[in-house]
Amino acid sequence: MPADRDQRSIDPLRRDFLRASRQVAGLSLLATQFPGLLAIAEAAAAAHAGGAPFLHLSPAEAAGLEAIAARIIPSDDTPGAREAGVIHFIDQALGDFMAESAGDLRAGLASLDALAAGAADGGSFAALPPAAQDELLRQVEATPFFELMIYLTVAGMFALPSYGGNRDYLGWALLGFSSSHAWTPPFGHYDALLAGVSPPAAADGSGAAGHAPALGHGKAHGHD
Amino acid sequence: MTEQPRFPHREAVDFVIIGSGSAGGILARELSVAGFDVVVLEQGKYRRTHEFTHDELAIAFNHEYVGGPQGGDPQTFRHDASDSAKVADFPPAYYARMVGGSSVHFSANFWRLRPVDFHERSLLGAIEGADLADWPFGYEELEPYYTRVDWEIGVSGAPGPFDAPRSRPYPLPPMPVKSSGVLLEKGARKLGLHPQVAPVAILSQPFNNRAACVHCGFCMGFGCEMGAKSSTLVTMIPQAEATGRCEIRPQSTVHRLETGADGRISEVLYYDAAGGEQAQRAKAVIVAANGAETPRLLLMSASARFPDGLANGSGYVGRNLMFNAHSVTHAWFDEPLHDYKSVQCSRMVHDFYESDPKRGFYGGGAIDARPFLSASPMLFALTAMPPDVPRWGAAYKRALAHNFTRNMVLAASATSLAVPSNNITLDPAVKDRFGRPALRVTYRDHADDLAMVGFLQDWAVGIAEAAGANKVWRNPIQPETIGAHLLGTCRMGDDADHSVVDRFHRSHEVPNLFICDGSSMVTSGRGQPTMTIMALAFRASQHIAEAARKGDI
Repeated sequence: MPADRDQRSIDPLRRDFLRASRQVAGLSLLATQFPGLLAIAEAAAAAHAGGAPFLHLSPAEAAGLEAIAARIIPSDDTPGAREAGVIHFIDQALGDFMAESAGDLRAGLASLDALAAGAADGGSFAALPPAAQDELLRQVEATPFFELMIYLTVAGMFALPSYGGNRDYLGWALLGFSSSHAWTPPFGHYDALLAGVSPPAAADGSGAAGHAPALGHGKAHGHD
Repeated sequence: MTEQPRFPHREAVDFVIIGSGSAGGILARELSVAGFDVVVLEQGKYRRTHEFTHDELAIAFNHEYVGGPQGGDPQTFRHDASDSAKVADFPPAYYARMVGGSSVHFSANFWRLRPVDFHERSLLGAIEGADLADWPFGYEELEPYYTRVDWEIGVSGAPGPFDAPRSRPYPLPPMPVKSSGVLLEKGARKLGLHPQVAPVAILSQPFNNRAACVHCGFCMGFGCEMGAKSSTLVTMIPQAEATGRCEIRPQSTVHRLETGADGRISEVLYYDAAGGEQAQRAKAVIVAANGAETPRLLLMSASARFPDGLANGSGYVGRNLMFNAHSVTHAWFDEPLHDYKSVQCSRMVHDFYESDPKRGFYGGGAIDARPFLSASPMLFALTAMPPDVPRWGAAYKRALAHNFTRNMVLAASATSLAVPSNNITLDPAVKDRFGRPALRVTYRDHADDLAMVGFLQDWAVGIAEAAGANKVWRNPIQPETIGAHLLGTCRMGDDADHSVVDRFHRSHEVPNLFICDGSSMVTSGRGQPTMTIMALAFRASQHIAEAARKGDI
């Protein structure tokens, strides 16, 4: 475990939350506890929106994992994993349904940092330039750790924002997926053509961001 | 609203029904309307329509509806009996645990069987490596009940050129055609095929005081927050409860059917929501827990009198599991389809339904157009990229951004032969959260099943290319490891040595035990078994009610 993790201050509230989630995660009845846990996570998400400190990750861990996510879905002419807040999704998930993977994730990052330290420039993975980061990631591409990072990045990009990522629905905007509760035909270009009407406006890369969540989308949790 | 009755546990209620899904929901409604007292034991929660969400992470990945090892419901899987079974992350017997069962989360593709499905053994003879058998009755026996399903629950569709005869038209017009349906039609017609409307158990118009579909697109795997999907949750169960004679007990997990000295079931033992042991006495028991959990329960109910499992003198309990074989072909087009909107499937091709000896293997099936797993963002990003697109980085991101709206899938569904070594058994080592032996699935598709879906995939590629796709690729065809269609494991038949229940769904061995769900099916059909399970349930209800009125239960 990196030294700076031990040094960071953990306020009592956070410590309680950590303890509670770990205890629950150890029970076989985890599923029945989901709604309560997720309510806590939602509150945490609200508190952490916009780059607030992390619940479960040290700053160095967060920087490293975010750097990886940012190479999986990079920022270019459109927002990527960084802007969508994928790292906040990961931070939250590690206290909840991904708690069992926390060790693997930290070990994987430590290995990657060790590789980075051995590279010409030295330093952490996060400090490397993007091309050097890609070079190192290609070396770990076949590992379960990298699979996990792909999964977490995709989930952080496209799951409901209440989980901490997909900030302002940036992930959905990237795909052209929109959060409307209801649609009317024509649905796409080809059925519009058949019906002799104008196709629906393309939503690719725009349109979804900033939508108020409609019925059925915004209410992610609290089913019971 | 009628208040639910609370039946005393120590007095024998007329019927205990185990499971509230496609079959259990109908049996509960029919028998309570017929005047009998009914207790329905459902292991899942009683989720209401307004509680359903579009939370892809919770539902598609964190198993909110389907159980799994995280929730204390591990299942194990192996391809062959010589392998040791491993706990699977995704449940290999994939079904929804809730009131309404899998009729709540299914895609609602809704086909009838055809005459050929009932007597292929007679038509084709024996097939090596398979236990192909005829049903104890034919299509004409089931037709009136298919029609009842249409009109009782609400089905949208239009007849196709190869359909079996029907005694009444569809109650509702088809859903609007999607771009994927238009493209399937275009490609199929160019190849001389006969594309047709895909019928769905989703309301294209308001029906029986229920609202019509609003095309939100979250059908497959999700519950419908409009109540427009014709699950038993919104169709049958409210009507059962309205009789005042039906008590639904959610979060009630049955672990044993207890038999008395007379060889009849005396009571049903289950765990309640708090994990406490309960017992409900009953005059008769109907197991409708699906083609995986039904045999599991019978095997768990072994006793000195029934050493190999209750009602299992034939050895057919759990045997001959059938999933329906599948293949998946992806296509990208130049313009947006937005196939994530509306129902999964609006058009299909049934030209290859019949088995054809010229192909060199047994089988029949269909090809349909739909988003399949790419209807929602995470599944699309994780499962729907072609092999030549990198799995991460700028090129991956570009492919995601450009193709989410331009993507479609041609899904092929086909026959599964009954293979005796494909089965449901009790895992000897793994236990669930109640200490019950975990469900163990052993499954390897018959070679003819894989050949058939390969044949259909060749046609699917041709259709996509003829429709003008700019890129077409195949998911490799591999033996199945997950089945959402759980069929054949308590086969119905006249011969007690080769089946578990008779033609009226009564156990050959235990007079007050009835079994009705996917396990009753003798053959798999070509995919989409839910309508047949519902038709069987209407038919079974009628015969069970008649027997009960005569005191013969």
